[in-house]
Amino acid sequence: MRKLYLILLVAFQLSSFAQNKEVLYNFTSIPQSSLVNPGADVSYKFYFGIPVLSGVSANLGSSSFSAYDLFANNGVDFNDKVRNVINNSSGKDKTQVNQQLELFSGGFRVGGRDSQSYISFGAYQEFDFLMYVPKDLAILALDGNRDYIGKAFNLADLNVRAEVLSVFHVGFHKKLNEKLVLGGRAKLYSSGANATSTKNSGFIYTGQSAGSPNIYEQVIASNLELKTSGIATFTKDEYEGSIPKDIAHNTFFNGSLGFGIDAGLTYYFRDNLQFTASVVDLGFINHTKDIETLTYKGTYNYKGANPSFDPVNEPGDIFDEFDKAIPRDTLYSKYTTWRPTKFYSSIQYSFGESRSNADCNCKGKVTSSYANAVGGQLFIMSMPVEPFVALTAFYKRNIFEKLDLKATYTFDSYSNKNIGLGVSGTLGKLNMYLLVNNVLEYKDVSKANSIAFQFGFNFVFHDSEE
Amino acid sequence: MKANFIKRISTILFLSCLFLSCSSDLDFDQTKDLKLEPVFVANLPYFNIPATQLINDGSVALYPDVTEFDAFKEKFFRDNLVKVGLDFEIDNTIIRAFRIDLLLLDANNQVLERDTYNVQAYSGTSNIIKFPTEVFEGQRLELLKRTTKLGFLVTMAPGPPLDQNSTGNLKFRSGATVYMVIE
Repeated sequence: MRKLYLILLVAFQLSSFAQNKEVLYNFTSIPQSSLVNPGADVSYKFYFGIPVLSGVSANLGSSSFSAYDLFANNGVDFNDKVRNVINNSSGKDKTQVNQQLELFSGGFRVGGRDSQSYISFGAYQEFDFLMYVPKDLAILALDGNRDYIGKAFNLADLNVRAEVLSVFHVGFHKKLNEKLVLGGRAKLYSSGANATSTKNSGFIYTGQSAGSPNIYEQVIASNLELKTSGIATFTKDEYEGSIPKDIAHNTFFNGSLGFGIDAGLTYYFRDNLQFTASVVDLGFINHTKDIETLTYKGTYNYKGANPSFDPVNEPGDIFDEFDKAIPRDTLYSKYTTWRPTKFYSSIQYSFGESRSNADCNCKGKVTSSYANAVGGQLFIMSMPVEPFVALTAFYKRNIFEKLDLKATYTFDSYSNKNIGLGVSGTLGKLNMYLLVNNVLEYKDVSKANSIAFQFGFNFVFHDSEE
Repeated sequence: MKANFIKRISTILFLSCLFLSCSSDLDFDQTKDLKLEPVFVANLPYFNIPATQLINDGSVALYPDVTEFDAFKEKFFRDNLVKVGLDFEIDNTIIRAFRIDLLLLDANNQVLERDTYNVQAYSGTSNIIKFPTEVFEGQRLELLKRTTKLGFLVTMAPGPPLDQNSTGNLKFRSGATVYMVIE
């Protein structure tokens, strides 16, 4: 039991995020921007990412507390900190982690020198964790029910999902004319481990009413379900192996498979007025490997033992009654999970002629001929309780021919002063990029509610560089 | 060219600022200090005996019962339990006085503790008694933890006879307040 609390705490600590990649989005000098919009106006003759280093990203976010709130070395009693965090959270507050590591990636133009069709491909590993603050259950664990007579502790507060998966993808985008770029990407998911417990309901209630045969009115209505795939083996006593190794193996070679698509477009109303939109990870995973579902379903009204003073009709054991009323069931049925689907959109206005000679970068002519761009972005992501929404204002500047900067200001449920900065530069054929958000928080990362960064290295080849 | 150079330098400086991030001193060992002190309340045995179940000529009568009580089977519960308060309440509307003995029995049916609660005969006015909380701590708590059965012995004192037309009930209800410390 104590272990469970510790695991919960560690999960709290590790967790934080939203998969919003607001700095990367539409940052078209970075080939990876086509992973957040397959219809991004990205051009190259061909490119390839440096294996394992082409795209490293992590997003951590916690909407109601920071690492500092729990772990500050400030003499405040740890239990008081836990209590404060719980009191200041609601069941809608969440902690999230998203981490991605690109294993390999590449892309090439198809159809000759004048073609504007591109194919890109790659594989990345992803880890996702999302947990809502289980406020009611935390209060029950901290305080018990004595001081909460009349309160129904909500079991729906138990809402968590975690997944390790690998994604293999192939995308295609084409600049149909000067105004429109369309793109799509097909994804094959391989999930090595998944735990989903997002549709719980029920309550634990203790009441008191005069004249009733019992001192308390006690009801547990439980509709709890935890679905897992790729995990059950590790929970068995006879398991003797390395969990990280086995999860890694399953993720790439023996995972539960799924399929998804990304789609996106870029449209130029005018030379310098651009609209984009994309949907990412519209897909599902069909969990079939090593599946196990645990359920606790039922209703139990606890009254206490009731001696009958009748040796013939002895009532049954009340503790057996509980197990019968809310049995622990283990099922082995396949299940499907939907990927967290992301939707992005942006509008961008460009101005100021670029000092560089745009002709040398013939495929990116429209955007690169302006030195500045401003605009706004919208991000929406599907979540179990309510969708996550973020609004971003950005400014992009092309400093030299091969150095681009982007600054963003984002409002979301984690922060209303999230400033992001990104830089993408090219040395020879080596493209390097580094994107960071919530830069204000870097003065003390432990107090940050969310932090995200991404960096990578690619080799990009354009015609003019031959 | 010079302008470019200055720009380049300032850009590099600006960017390096980004990565000069700091963090307050954090102490993750604090998790060891985690101490939960929840207090739970729960029902314990209850009964409601109508006078018609106690038909009697007016002499002393004994009614015994033993019920299983395996709350302490759970090791986690036993180990983290520091204090228990038991509350008993009797509501007697029968024209006879009663004595209720509660016996805590271990697995071998040995009596670990015996507590006695008396209630007067009903005389037309409210006859509800809330007994003071029985507090189990230290040695007394250790005995309680060994309890696997609860024995009740209801003794009806001599008084007016009871028949199938007698009215009233002997109502008994109880609850526990459980103090836990989980470290």
